[in-house]
Amino acid sequence: MTGMRGLSVFISDIRNCQNKEAERLRVDKELGNVRTCFKNEKVLTPYKKKKYVWKMLYIHMLGYDVDFGHMEAVSLISAPKYPEKQVGYIVTSCLLNENHDFLRLAINTVRNDIIGRNETFQCLALTLVGNIGGRDFAESLAPDVQKLLISSSCRPLVRKKAALCLLRLFRKNPDAINVDGWADRMAQLLDERDLGVLTSSTSLLVALVSNNHEAYSSCLPKCVKILERLARNQDVPQEYTYYGIPSPWLQVKAMRALQYFPTIEDPSTRKALFEVLQRILMGTDVVKNVNKNNASHAVLFEALSLVMHLDAEKEMMSQCVALLGKFISVREPNIRYLGLENMTRMLMVTDVQDIIKKHQSQIITSLKDPDISIRRRALDLLYGMCDVSNAKDIVEELLQYLSTAEFSMREELSLKAAILAEKFAPDLSWYVDVILQLIDKAGDFVSDDIWFRVVQFVTNNEDLQPYAASKAREYLDKIAIHETMVKVSAYILGEYGHLLARRPGCSASELFSILHEKLPTVSTTTIPILLSTYAKLLMHTQPPDPELQKQIWAIFKKYESCIDVEIQQRAVEYFELSKKGAAFMDVLAEMPKFPERQSSLIKKAEDVEDTADQSAIKLRAQQQPSNALVLADPQPVNGAPPPLKVPSVSGSTGPESVARSLSQPNGTLSNIDPQNPSPDLLSDLLGPLAIEGPPGAVSSEQHGPIGAGGAPDEVDGSAIVPVEEQTNTVELVGNIAERFHALCLKDSGVLYEDPYIQIGIKAEWRGHHGRLVLFLGNKNTSPLTSVQALILPPAHLKLELSPVPDTIPPRAQVQSPLEVMNIRPSRDVAVLDFSYKFGTNVVSAKLRIPAVLNKFLQPLQLTSEEFFPQWRSLTGPPLKLQEVIRGVRPLVLPEMANLFNSFHVTICPGLDPNPNNLVASTTFYSESTGAMLCLARIETDPADRTQLRMTVGSGDPTLTLELKEFIKEQLIAIPVGSRALVPAAGPGPGQAPPAVQPPSPVIAADDPGAMLAGLL
Amino acid sequence: MIKAVMMMNTQGKPRLAKFYDFMTVEKQQELIRGVFSVLCSRPENVSSFLEIDSLFGPDSRLVYKHYATLYFVLVFDGSENELAMLDLIQVLVETLDKCFSNVCELDIVFNYSKMHAVLDEIVFGGQIRSCLKRDFTCPEVCFRVARPIASKLA
Repeated sequence: MTGMRGLSVFISDIRNCQNKEAERLRVDKELGNVRTCFKNEKVLTPYKKKKYVWKMLYIHMLGYDVDFGHMEAVSLISAPKYPEKQVGYIVTSCLLNENHDFLRLAINTVRNDIIGRNETFQCLALTLVGNIGGRDFAESLAPDVQKLLISSSCRPLVRKKAALCLLRLFRKNPDAINVDGWADRMAQLLDERDLGVLTSSTSLLVALVSNNHEAYSSCLPKCVKILERLARNQDVPQEYTYYGIPSPWLQVKAMRALQYFPTIEDPSTRKALFEVLQRILMGTDVVKNVNKNNASHAVLFEALSLVMHLDAEKEMMSQCVALLGKFISVREPNIRYLGLENMTRMLMVTDVQDIIKKHQSQIITSLKDPDISIRRRALDLLYGMCDVSNAKDIVEELLQYLSTAEFSMREELSLKAAILAEKFAPDLSWYVDVILQLIDKAGDFVSDDIWFRVVQFVTNNEDLQPYAASKAREYLDKIAIHETMVKVSAYILGEYGHLLARRPGCSASELFSILHEKLPTVSTTTIPILLSTYAKLLMHTQPPDPELQKQIWAIFKKYESCIDVEIQQRAVEYFELSKKGAAFMDVLAEMPKFPERQSSLIKKAEDVEDTADQSAIKLRAQQQPSNALVLADPQPVNGAPPPLKVPSVSGSTGPESVARSLSQPNGTLSNIDPQNPSPDLLSDLLGPLAIEGPPGAVSSEQHGPIGAGGAPDEVDGSAIVPVEEQTNTVELVGNIAERFHALCLKDSGVLYEDPYIQIGIKAEWRGHHGRLVLFLGNKNTSPLTSVQALILPPAHLKLELSPVPDTIPPRAQVQSPLEVMNIRPSRDVAVLDFSYKFGTNVVSAKLRIPAVLNKFLQPLQLTSEEFFPQWRSLTGPPLKLQEVIRGVRPLVLPEMANLFNSFHVTICPGLDPNPNNLVASTTFYSESTGAMLCLARIETDPADRTQLRMTVGSGDPTLTLELKEFIKEQLIAIPVGSRALVPAAGPGPGQAPPAVQPPSPVIAADDPGAMLAGLL
Repeated sequence: MIKAVMMMNTQGKPRLAKFYDFMTVEKQQELIRGVFSVLCSRPENVSSFLEIDSLFGPDSRLVYKHYATLYFVLVFDGSENELAMLDLIQVLVETLDKCFSNVCELDIVFNYSKMHAVLDEIVFGGQIRSCLKRDFTCPEVCFRVARPIASKLA
């Protein structure tokens, strides 16, 4: 390989190129040259071929597309000599992807090398498969590679590669590799003395365990043994130490593998592991040598993660926090970075927040670190650790940092500051201060949500109004202010400017002139707000000021012919209205209070964070928000504040409904003459701050974020009328329907969550029996009372719920077992009717219990000898049903196979001669049928994945039908975002919102999947 | 798993690039450029970690080391330990140092083919394969690495 002069010359030429153009010319020339040579096979010696193939790879790296010569590269693989073969393997693995057709041609050669005797060739072949092996390779080579790994005659260096090769094949196509019985082999492999093989095997174990930890529980103590051997006994050959540390990579891998097991039950294993961890935690010091530092801290940080995962005793946890506290102040930037990152993860562990808070000042210092990576970590951590006690400090730090932060961070920074300010504000005037400062300093990064929100707070809290108005007035004195500031101060001064009338510089005409100065600088979206403000100022001037009126009328006149319809309409309407005296006063009366709702801001942040894997969101949900910010006034005795609904613009709202809105106890519209206002006028005034209905009123948005007003255009032209009943909804955490669908496939998880309570579920299934445990957790610091849970069972299930205590103490969790027995096959679902009281709010919800058909299935894999006689014995309807299904979610076969396996209908690979078909089997358990074998066959059309033919058979006609319908639902189901149950709170019974699903069989009709199925 | 290994010089020229998920040439070049534009703006004495989600998708991390005129970059997902990855760069560099006795950018440029062999010995299909000379199978690498690295390092 050395001494390829041609290659060196070519590389020098490229290096000598003065510019990109010259380089391109040289490359084109070379490609032409290579192409000609490849065509002339007679003179193409192996040496030349090798040289050209290297050149191709070099050109490829420079970023040029090399669209020929792949065949030559692949053909080198079968060369008899090492140098050519090696080039072939390396270049092929760089140039071709796993689906390339040429690779199939090479499978045989690769296989021969793998099963051959030449170790070097074995290694090369394994490397290729490990780099680009796809499905074809997995199917034809996996058994050979598995054999190599466990073979006692192979040298470690081959077995090591075999382990990693298998890992790659398994990761890419888990279904193509048969890992049955590998649990024992893996356990044996972990006894290996050779550390190289052990490291690779541990990597393989990590992948296998992450897929199915239960099967590999026998490997858990072995991982602990490895750690003991390395970290405690230092029983390692010299060449496997790295800067004096016994194979840090292996230690890290072993600890990583342990983190995939939910917990360690065996007390002696647990004790041994904690001993090792303690040793690692205590025995690591920061030393001078950077490389040694890195290695030892790699092990240390992994140990920290493991300690957090295992939920160790408080003492050990505080030890960890103390260590992290040390790290975030060291000189070495990498350690600082990881210290902050791990501290953020630590926040998820309960009870350590207080210890972390001790390091607050150091974390704030990290916000000024020269390294942006570190600053980001510090921001995340501050955001995560903020609560009522330290919000003031942290938010003020963030505001200060905002002026110096780079632009790429400002948006995130301002959003986070706004959220923290809202969530943990110690008092309201502080909140207003923060948001106004935020708009002032980083107006470009303040989304509309943020200023909508501050307006809502000010509107709903009378004490705050004069303060907010005076603040808004102060900002207007600044020479250049951001447009958002113009919007928010115009709005606030329009509404509440009159409260300042006696202060100097705050008379209506002065307010008008200072606001009007800004008008030439703003865009057309702000002008309507200014016009509304002018109208309001005019209305509040008592007695009327003819001078001001003249000025404002002139402006209205000017905009009467504006090209922007919104501006034009407002100008015309305000002008006409302002001549009408009493009606003007009524229409422009103060805005009514907003209904209480979750901040769209927080909602948005939660949506973003949900995708991040280690978000602090769980924590956020637990933290008690400040009580300072309550959107609505304390509720009147008779229950919730008046809910508002958005009818259409058409003006269908009869006067009586308007009248009713006016009679609401705390509605501020009560001074309006019920007969007078037309919905249109009202609607116009509502423009900038639209009001959405409560969930349930607008069916398509039942679960959408209950936004702080949304965009004006969404609800443009709408009036306020009350809903028939006073229902108050709690904001759900997560989507109930999605949670239910997830729980249909797994046995533990969260069934329901709102700001007060979380209901978790854990289930075990044995034949036709099931035992579920409901975990009811109170998330608050005050008790939940009048807790009631009632099961509404469908006819085919026998359910027994142990009594639920009436009261759940603060921050406590109660368990309530639920016994299930399946009497006969049915797809109906049991419903849990659940309600509780928090303060004066009654919250109730109807939740589907995930005791569904597939829970009574047990996976069963049949061989062809077992399958076909059974299949033939089922002759036709009603025991065997066939249906062509259209409108199927397009899935490739492996995905479909995974889907089937996920609901315990086991795919039996290789039984059907046609590769586009799937054959599956399972056992169903119920009291009436006993254990009943079920078989299914799916015939797909590779050309059209949206349709397939399904045949289902079993010994029971009902079961066949139900199972067929069940599978159909799964294949066409769109389980996300479906219309789910809305928990509702109301003062009395009989107020369940219409969306609540009655128990079976109507449920099927409410499920989109079932509905679709019905249509088909 | 490791998603990509890159070496580039301080002018942004790629010297070696290997991606363990298949990507088109254009995409590869775009990523190399993207990574370089972030790297070149970083001062000395800052951490070796970068958030790189915008280039490589969610849950991607990047560590790099800067040696003389070269950047060594590893991109990987959340299943790897960041510091262990940093160590891996060190191992790679020390191995190259053995192969070329005092490696410099020119060695890497002209021994392009050998570079690939060395890399394949250390990173295997996105997994750490080996950090020790003893494990190397490729003859020319073994030949050049006269003494076990570890003995010197210890």
